[in-house]
Amino acid sequence: MIDAYLTHLAILIGIYSILAISLQLSLGYGGLLNLGHFSFFGIGAYASALLSVEGVPFVICLLFAGMVAAFFGWLLSIATNKLKGDYSALVTLGFSFVVYAVLLNWVALTNGSLGIAGIPRPNFLGIDFSNNLYFLLLVVFIALLSYLFIRKICSSSFGRALESTRDDELAAKLLGKNTTKLKRASLLIAAFFAGISGSLFAAYITFIDPSSFTFTNLIPILSIVIVGGLASLPGTIVATVVVVLLPEPFRFIGFPTSILGPIRQIMYATILLLIIYLKPRGFYGKIDLE
Amino acid sequence: MSIFLQLLINGVIAGAIYALVSSGFSLIYSTNKFVHFAHGGVIALSAYFFFWTLSNSSLTPVVVIALTMLFSALLGYLLNKVFYKPLRAKKSSSLILFVTSMAILILSEALVLLIFGANAKTINLIKNNHGMEIAGAIITPLQLAIIGTAVLLFLGLYLFMKKTKIGKAMRAVADNKEVAEIVGISSEKIYSWSFAIGSAIAGIAAILISLEQNIEPTMGTSLMVKGFISAIIGGVGSVPGAILGSFSLGLTENFGTWFLPSGYKDAIAFLLLFVFLLFRPQGILGIKNKQR
Repeated sequence: MIDAYLTHLAILIGIYSILAISLQLSLGYGGLLNLGHFSFFGIGAYASALLSVEGVPFVICLLFAGMVAAFFGWLLSIATNKLKGDYSALVTLGFSFVVYAVLLNWVALTNGSLGIAGIPRPNFLGIDFSNNLYFLLLVVFIALLSYLFIRKICSSSFGRALESTRDDELAAKLLGKNTTKLKRASLLIAAFFAGISGSLFAAYITFIDPSSFTFTNLIPILSIVIVGGLASLPGTIVATVVVVLLPEPFRFIGFPTSILGPIRQIMYATILLLIIYLKPRGFYGKIDLE
Repeated sequence: MSIFLQLLINGVIAGAIYALVSSGFSLIYSTNKFVHFAHGGVIALSAYFFFWTLSNSSLTPVVVIALTMLFSALLGYLLNKVFYKPLRAKKSSSLILFVTSMAILILSEALVLLIFGANAKTINLIKNNHGMEIAGAIITPLQLAIIGTAVLLFLGLYLFMKKTKIGKAMRAVADNKEVAEIVGISSEKIYSWSFAIGSAIAGIAAILISLEQNIEPTMGTSLMVKGFISAIIGGVGSVPGAILGSFSLGLTENFGTWFLPSGYKDAIAFLLLFVFLLFRPQGILGIKNKQR
């Protein structure tokens, strides 16, 4: 019983850490306050779920989810690249509302507010991942790959050029960097990994509906990235563990779920406020939130 | 013809509601220069304050209305003093203030949910609210009152900004903070004033909206989103622009339902936002060359 609960938490931590490090790439390294990041998670979840209920193998669903999300990341970058600072943040916020409206209203495709039920668990290489322990191993494996990949590109010349664009776009341009391309690529890659984590989420929960992908859900992920510190990947992982586990004790006090939801929101909002006031660099951050 | 007229009336009503939200927001934005998303939280909390006071006290509605406006003005004033002032003192960027206001919005929404529960509440203050027919289209007295109040409010706001000392000082700070400070206007004082006045307008919005629609915990966010889109369309930081944008949005949304299912109203609103952000980011009345 305890084991099953811990496995469940570990799987959530794995899925959220992929989502958080992908936001880190776009916010921490790229400097774009992407309030629509959670929509890529939702797009990935839906893309993957729609294919997998048709019996498409999981690996294809996973990659398809990443690619569809990346495509929308590219679309969004066309808008964000033209704008500055809080305006680009607001476009991403608008994007998240459009995605939500489409998920809710395009009933023929998404089944509207009823959502998609009966999403199959992955089953490949002769392993049945309906066993949570195996699923955890799969999540850890993919999370590790994502982490290594994002760390690799962040420490590459691409990552350094991206950071210089974040700090001073004009200077980066003067040095001959194509900043538009850099920012576009970072958003695209970030969206790809958010889509991957969405696909894992759908396959794990086996049921998705639009309400799981509203913009308020972004607050915990944003807290993770800011608590961990901008442009710090290990910090992000530590913060994911902390932020996912933090509201869990309330479950044992015996609050009903109707109270648990708002309490969790209050907690995340408070964490966000505290970190902004007390430690704006987060715990491992290299740069200030700007 | 009557469908056209009905959509026109619905559009104007929606526009008046959005304008009530966006005018206060724009007023705060014009002097403070950051996106105060928690304005939606102020509206939701004021609506619930109005609801609670009406049903738990024997005060007459007029007193409750006055109390609600006082409550919202005080709430806005305190939000500025407690949350934003310390950040400004630390020279935080407008992006941080924006994230802070988001956290406050989520916080207020969760508080309302915790205290009042998730189900929608109805205020039955106005008993006799039957629709009247004008050339085949239906409008209720309350909806007429909303449009009338909105128009009166905007006239009052216009006179306030043009004629009074504080209004002039607010415009000065909005135009150029440094120069305003050189001639002896305290910008902190003006920030407080704009928060108090902008939030009092939010209180009026909360009262009228809660009479017209049900109130629910998420109302702040959804109203704020619409008010915010209106402000961008009209030209952010310009109160007349915000009002113009609100009516444009209300009309576009409602005429859009001629072609699309009504569930897509929100999507229409955002498409309009995208079109403006990409092709005219300064909005209808905005001035070009400002950094966006």
